[in-house]
Amino acid sequence: MYELVLILPAVALIFSVFTDVLLMSYLQLIISTFVFLTVVAISLSFHAITVFFGGLFFVDYINLVILITVSILELFVAFYSFGYVRTEIKHGLSKRKFKFYYFWKNLFIFSMMASIMSNNLGIYWTGLEATTLATALLVSFNRTKESFEATWKYVIMCSVGIAIGLFAIVILYFTTSQVYGESMKSLSFINIIQAGSELDKNFLMLAFILALVGFGTKVGFAPMHNWLPDAHSQGPSPVSALLSGVLLNTALLGILRFYQINASAGIYYPRYFLIGFGFLTILVSALSIIKQKDYKRLFAFSSMENMGLIALGFGVGGIAVVGSLFQILFHALNKGALFLSSGNVLAVTHERKIDKIRSLSKHFPVTGLMLLFGVMGISGMPPFAMFLGEIYIMFGVFKTNIWFGFLVFLLLIFIFAGLFSKILKMYIGVKDGENGQQNENKADSGTRKGKQNKGEKEIHPFMLYVPLILLLISSILLFYMPSPFLHIVKSASAEFGGKIIF
Amino acid sequence: MLMEKIAELFIILILVSVVLNVSSPFIKFAIKLYSFQSLMLALYILIGAVHFNSINLYGSFVITVIFKVILIPYFLFKTLKRVKMDKEIDMYIGIPEAVVFAGSLTLLSNLIAQKIVTAGITFGAFVFTISLATFLIGAMLMITRKTLFSQIIGFLTIDNAIFLAANSITHGMPLLVELGVLFDLFVSILILSILILNLKRSAAA
Repeated sequence: MYELVLILPAVALIFSVFTDVLLMSYLQLIISTFVFLTVVAISLSFHAITVFFGGLFFVDYINLVILITVSILELFVAFYSFGYVRTEIKHGLSKRKFKFYYFWKNLFIFSMMASIMSNNLGIYWTGLEATTLATALLVSFNRTKESFEATWKYVIMCSVGIAIGLFAIVILYFTTSQVYGESMKSLSFINIIQAGSELDKNFLMLAFILALVGFGTKVGFAPMHNWLPDAHSQGPSPVSALLSGVLLNTALLGILRFYQINASAGIYYPRYFLIGFGFLTILVSALSIIKQKDYKRLFAFSSMENMGLIALGFGVGGIAVVGSLFQILFHALNKGALFLSSGNVLAVTHERKIDKIRSLSKHFPVTGLMLLFGVMGISGMPPFAMFLGEIYIMFGVFKTNIWFGFLVFLLLIFIFAGLFSKILKMYIGVKDGENGQQNENKADSGTRKGKQNKGEKEIHPFMLYVPLILLLISSILLFYMPSPFLHIVKSASAEFGGKIIF
Repeated sequence: MLMEKIAELFIILILVSVVLNVSSPFIKFAIKLYSFQSLMLALYILIGAVHFNSINLYGSFVITVIFKVILIPYFLFKTLKRVKMDKEIDMYIGIPEAVVFAGSLTLLSNLIAQKIVTAGITFGAFVFTISLATFLIGAMLMITRKTLFSQIIGFLTIDNAIFLAANSITHGMPLLVELGVLFDLFVSILILSILILNLKRSAAA
């Protein structure tokens, strides 16, 4: 059963080479549904670490949380892509271009799954680098100068970052090979954890710092983040949703693995690095959100902020770890809804600037409302599940140091204000031309209005309702948490030393 | 003993090729130097393989030669021909300053390596010093030059440094992992070449 999670995306990858785009979109729906059902079946029956494919891959509670996140978001993105492909083809994009879309997307999903479930750190690295390469041509999908530049920055920065991560793995391999000898066993995560106390502490610490900087580049931690807003805003919206929602978590998993290895050797001060990087990331994204002019970049910075918050939660420990694990899933759902609904606006207006988009409430009643609610969710307001994650993290932070908690809280308010001022302007703001000078250039504004008035009718219904359902799920999860998921999160947090009584 | 001396010669040649790269403004020469540098790395791995009689290292030698010495420079040359880029490179700092920087980075990495490296590593602190210096100079190449090609060369140099470290402090990573890493590197070079072509085209349009 576990093997299916890897085999199904591989099958989809093969199909996407040979089949037509429109047919492939149906196949993708079926395959993504099956992947989702497999993951649901795994999480319902899961009770202990399971190894498969000859020990190269494994599932434990921590990567199961990320696996659930990936499979849910991937299912919705598959439905959204179904509508997206049809809408874009109707608007005159060639079918041939979309063939590559499904090919690269499936390669991306496959390498991400391989990377998440890998027991071998070498395979984890290979998978993570493969995700960079698979998404490179998706980010430059629009073939504009900006998108090529964004892709260049993305590939160069992430490749160098991950190369530093490889250095960390080499040093770890050197350390563990003194226990296990030079074999695949020295890279196997389960074996490394078992031998934790015998390892050389100085080298482990060095490996953690290199891994934090290296994989941290791909997570988007603050000093290494400047590729992230460009790359995440240039890709097609379904890809942006996957990049922001799940790929960042996959990179974070690498850091968490090194963190676990250090913890098993009795080294606990890496957590201060996580706290430091997390806080710096929140700070930088808070300051950047306030002066953003592009709404997709706005959401990209918001993902950065949430990754910082998650890292902060893991660093603080205790109850905040539960919050971080919740946040991984909820952030993916909410950010998915935001990117997908902003994709609707982009698909009709072809406009990225916040200042150019006004009165969404009139022209995009459903999408505009979803953007508004999505921003409510992403900034942690109650009817959405991210409230739960953020409140746990903030609780943990406040418990460690009240002034530090106060500072983080202040930054969160900054982010809230920045996001809302932008989105409210888009939602109910009025364009300058529409109000005062309506009589003077009636013809001009008339045509523009006519173009915008088509609004949501041009969009495939799947594109309208997928983000809505994502938000709905996010809202339901606040009030009713399925008990198997709760059990998984609790067990995963126990591995980081977070003991919680519910 | 003789083998160790020959191995050291190869390692020194790696550092020399990197410093030469810093001192030369020609892209074509830089790619040739990269190929040469990878060949030296491969020969170093070969000596290790003969010395320890390890099948893993023999395999590592073969795939290094195939990917790093032949395939990647071949595709880079092909891209260079298609782009028709002029051979001079724009830089943020001049060549003499860059060479002085490279020298001081080597000294710095010697200091760091002496702190970190303990006894029991294959060829001692020497290889680690060179690999660290190559790493830092590669990073310097990336940030001091403006041309896209030099960023690729810098990235490849960093990668060579990591391979050198992997093959000096251990007997090479497991072959499966090494193959995956090299394949990823190769594909990333292909994608970067495609991006260079497209960027050039969109800049011309």
